[in-house]
Amino acid sequence: MSVQEGQSTETTGETRTLGSRLRQYGLLIFLLVNIIVISFLSPAFLKPENLLNIMTQAAPLGMVVLGQAFCLLVRGLDLSVASVMATAAVLATSFASTDNAMIPVIFAAAMALGVVVGLVNGFLVAKRGVSPFLATLATTIVLQGIRFLYTEGSSGSTLPDGFSTIGQGRFLGLPVNLLILIGLALVLGYVLHFTRFGRKIFLVGGNPRAAMLVGIRTDAMIISCYVISAVVAAVAGLCLVGYVGQVDQWTGKGYELDSIVAAVMGGIAISGGRGNVLGALLGVFILIVMFNAVILLGLPVQVQMILKGIIVIAASALYVTDASRRMA
Amino acid sequence: MTSETTIEKSHFWKRLFERVPVSLVVVISLLLLLILTGTMLSDRFPTLKNFLNVFQQAASLGIVSLGQTIVVLTGGIDLSVGPMISLASNLTSGLIDGQPQRVLPVVIGVIALGAAIGCINGLLTYYLRVHPMIITLGMASILQGFTLLYSLSPAGKVTPEFQILAYGRVFGLSLAGLGMVGLFIVAAIFLRLTRTGNAIYAVGGDPRGAHLLGISVVRTLAIAYSLSGALAALTGIYLVSRMGSGDPWRGEGFELASITPVVVGGTILAGGRGGVLGTLLGVYLISLLNNLLNFLDVSTFYQWIVQGLIIITAVAINVEKGKRT
Repeated sequence: MSVQEGQSTETTGETRTLGSRLRQYGLLIFLLVNIIVISFLSPAFLKPENLLNIMTQAAPLGMVVLGQAFCLLVRGLDLSVASVMATAAVLATSFASTDNAMIPVIFAAAMALGVVVGLVNGFLVAKRGVSPFLATLATTIVLQGIRFLYTEGSSGSTLPDGFSTIGQGRFLGLPVNLLILIGLALVLGYVLHFTRFGRKIFLVGGNPRAAMLVGIRTDAMIISCYVISAVVAAVAGLCLVGYVGQVDQWTGKGYELDSIVAAVMGGIAISGGRGNVLGALLGVFILIVMFNAVILLGLPVQVQMILKGIIVIAASALYVTDASRRMA
Repeated sequence: MTSETTIEKSHFWKRLFERVPVSLVVVISLLLLLILTGTMLSDRFPTLKNFLNVFQQAASLGIVSLGQTIVVLTGGIDLSVGPMISLASNLTSGLIDGQPQRVLPVVIGVIALGAAIGCINGLLTYYLRVHPMIITLGMASILQGFTLLYSLSPAGKVTPEFQILAYGRVFGLSLAGLGMVGLFIVAAIFLRLTRTGNAIYAVGGDPRGAHLLGISVVRTLAIAYSLSGALAALTGIYLVSRMGSGDPWRGEGFELASITPVVVGGTILAGGRGGVLGTLLGVYLISLLNNLLNFLDVSTFYQWIVQGLIIITAVAINVEKGKRT
């Protein structure tokens, strides 16, 4: 009986068992406890300025995590996000324009790049049966090569001024970066949790065979997830460039792993078919709050790395369900 | 009479052909193709001196990929080898610090540390039931953190004698290269002929079945990951000997680089199928390729593109349909 309940949760994402609700709130409680403890230890933490800074910092990673979540949901993963981010950044400078009117064009070009990369990833995974790890690893390396070849090692830095507004500016007191993240989260959250398309993604991830049997074109679903991930990563890359203020061949380095870490912490099952957008975002904020706390408490930066490792192992251990136990 | 022998003969060839996995045929053809192209494109490539050089240079990638192969055969993956190499390299040179009498204890200690960390990876994978990718990713982060806590810059130095490990030659052949091949032979014997070796294949193929056969899955995983950790530590030590000092970022990129020869050699990421021979050929393929591209004065950037394409080609040929990680 409980097994059946568990399965229905995994496949439709509709009916939630008490356990999964607890896990969801557990995450929120964990974040709140963290915030309370940290604010006691370091009063600077709760200052609105610091909080807004944290959020601006977290926004690009948050976007990447949203895309990564789609891939994880269909039992995949996308290692190419960081490479897409950097390539999008380099692409932006290739226009060599300082005209703000070019910004939409740049965004469109970057998203087109994302579509191409996503299609390649998705094709390799869905049509050729290559393991997602290898397929996206290969596109990472190829993109890296193309990028360096194009720039011959040193990238340009001409960007419209508008980018700094995107990365660091405020609109109605809120960081523009964060607003973009919220917008993306609303759109993707709606797509994932309230449309037929989203339901199908959960079904493909939860039980690919059943999905095929009920007539869902699983290949198409998987490919679209990789496209979403790459497109969102391209947007995140541009936002990160705006935040950092300069283009670098390695923009977004480490985001491929950090995004998986955050998504797993946020309850997206790496075995597919389970998780939600809100959890993924909470995962990002927990990660960033912890990083911030390390700095505020005056601990060496290296502690961030150790902490990140411990958290990801501990968090994923907490989320292990009977379903993934069967797999292991 | 003659017809019978021809039938037997054709059977023999057919059976031999069936026994050789497609992946090995692919990697051998790629190797031959590479050597052929290299010979046509560059005069300096097809010389004995150059091949001996590649034989030596392949040692670091070879040793770490060997450990990775064993882990991948269990159906796992070890993403912590990069930081493990960094930790081992900086710890080795930092602790030896130019004093010859410390060499032996430090080397043994560092390899033991690698094995212990690997063992933790294996035990966590089994007991927490979390995907090994996540466990070793977490471990990678932890190890890199500790490596940088130990020292942010290259620490200490090694003794000149220590460099024999990397630059020594036996009958004109590099000591490190020979050692690497030796390790592969030992590993091949271990995987084929020992109980534990067979258990590694069994666990990778079907953990539940292996358990029902009375194989201790946890013991097998612990051994496989310990070997990977120890071999990564050994790679770090070898790199110290080659470079003359450690570096807290020495192993960066090795976690992914070590997977390329494994999959090119036909070991599938889902586990249970493949072997160390394919990896050895894969290591030489990658090393020769980089060597040739260097001769052609092609930038590193092309090397990346070609490496990515090789992964795609090899993997798309050895399609892993139905078994995805």
